Amino acid sequence: MPEKYHIHVRPMPSRFPSVGKTTVLDWGEGCLRCTRCVKETCPYNAFRQRGFDDRSLSDTIDTYCKNCLRCVQGCPRELVVKAANPQYRRLGDDYWTPAILQSTWFQAETGKIPVSGAGYGGPFAGPGFDSIWTDMSEIVRPTRDGIHGREYISTAIELGRKPLFLVFDAEGRLAFEPPPRVEIPLPILLADPPFSAGPVPVRRALTGAARRLRTLAVIARENVDPELAAEAEHLCLTFPTGRVDTEDPLLSRVRLVELTDHEGVLAQVEAVKRRHPGLVTMIKVPADEGAAARVSELARAGAEAIHLFCDHHARGFLGARERHLKDLLRTVHLTLVEDNLRDTVTLLASGGIALAEHVAKAIICGADGVIVDLPLLLALECRLCRACQRGGRCPVDIDSLDPVWGTQRQVNLMGAWNHQLLEVLGAMGLREVRRLRGEVGRAMFVEDLEREIFAPLFSRPGPEGFRREGE
Amino acid sequence: MREKPKVVILACQQALPDPEPLLQALEAAGLTARAVPEPCSSKIEAFHLLRILAVEADCVRVLACPEDACLLKEGSCRLGRRLKHAQEYLQEIGLEPERLEVTRLNPGEAVDLPRLAADLAGVALTLGLNPGRRRVQEKEPQK
Repeated sequence: MPEKYHIHVRPMPSRFPSVGKTTVLDWGEGCLRCTRCVKETCPYNAFRQRGFDDRSLSDTIDTYCKNCLRCVQGCPRELVVKAANPQYRRLGDDYWTPAILQSTWFQAETGKIPVSGAGYGGPFAGPGFDSIWTDMSEIVRPTRDGIHGREYISTAIELGRKPLFLVFDAEGRLAFEPPPRVEIPLPILLADPPFSAGPVPVRRALTGAARRLRTLAVIARENVDPELAAEAEHLCLTFPTGRVDTEDPLLSRVRLVELTDHEGVLAQVEAVKRRHPGLVTMIKVPADEGAAARVSELARAGAEAIHLFCDHHARGFLGARERHLKDLLRTVHLTLVEDNLRDTVTLLASGGIALAEHVAKAIICGADGVIVDLPLLLALECRLCRACQRGGRCPVDIDSLDPVWGTQRQVNLMGAWNHQLLEVLGAMGLREVRRLRGEVGRAMFVEDLEREIFAPLFSRPGPEGFRREGE
Repeated sequence: MREKPKVVILACQQALPDPEPLLQALEAAGLTARAVPEPCSSKIEAFHLLRILAVEADCVRVLACPEDACLLKEGSCRLGRRLKHAQEYLQEIGLEPERLEVTRLNPGEAVDLPRLAADLAGVALTLGLNPGRRRVQEKEPQK
């Protein structure tokens, strides 16, 4: 029996007070000086621990307050009030919502699945990944001893070209040299975030996390310094369009390299493979309107792995700017299936993977795995204010972080994501993440449901003799 | 290069939901500015105002609703008293009380930002740098 993959999480406190969804307004004037003040009896000691944070220029009580509202209800003079925190609303943007940021910080701090004791108050469907409902049919009949028990659920994937069939010689031995593969126990590669106030310590933390998680850190070759080069086994080097030095000594120590797609990329792959036959090459293809045809062409030409990337809001490029990653992935996946090439090539997706559920949903849409970057930066308490891009000062001093602290935060986040992936797989009754790939039967797409089921029920009847859509 | 005075705006979200245009106007007027959105001006305690002056600001301006228009009835009134208390303290230690001021803005009404910015810039430039403020070398962003 293979060794169980386990991510060792441990609490790693935040360095800065977090931004709460709500905040306490505590009016001291007019206090009756009760003998049993609600502030004294706060079950979380929030009032005792509160202070003033010089960096955010705000009260730190929201870091400790758990919104039990005991103080609000208990104060006889009603001097404690809870109000929506405007600083929370200003976090992130319309895709990287405050809720996503806060949930990521919680997971990075604790390594635990974020669970809301007050239930889920949000909508049941929305745009993008929120329009996918995953199968939970097995949740009523869970495995004998839970998802962490004896019935092992594998989250491992293999990166590289896979032969569609095997050929044996007369003596029963494999008649050809199988292509190289890289096996990672988690369907997630960690990528260097595109911006940060401290790229060097962030990369150190990232590489440390990749080592601990036994996955790979995707880092541009020019950013690999000697200290990172010592971790070559856990690196995936990326090269800009058309520039790769096959004599680079680091290439003989890494297992995966990424080359950006361009006209001569196949020749480049060939040159790299000729010099380093044991290396797996991945081609980074933008998710535009021609991505499906291009991926199919590359797969037919022998590409080993493809990285389909969207922007950070999970939108495609050029003519596919309005399309979401999930739709682009489905198109690419189905094109490969139709061309009988799907099983030959590894398909990784990136761009807009913000939550654990997005990993499972991207895999359902046809990816073998995903590459994440911004969530790893959020794990380091990034506020996504992008002040660093404007030359401003980072509100959470990312440039001075301790890489050991950063590594543990990223390991915690990935640990929480892995647990959620196991929950999703367990609820579906699947024992392997590889079986989830392209399993759209394990999900319902709201737009399909609306078109096929609700449209015939609720659309206006057409003129005599016309059938309504979906009938 | 001469250091620009820094103004910290504490903006009640009812009075000024989006302080960003005001910040731009202040920066255009030759100041460094930062805004902290607040749920209600009564979130601001006297010691918050003093701490902000001690660590970061040359001037602090609270943007609050008129006392009779506070969403929480008495929040804006409480802010007024706390601010007065903090101003008295400033006076006691020999700093100009004008470094802490409040501007009342009617919620929901258009704000004359150029005028507000000019007023703030006038006060900040007249008062100059705050001698009680801790000076910290700003870090250069890492490349």
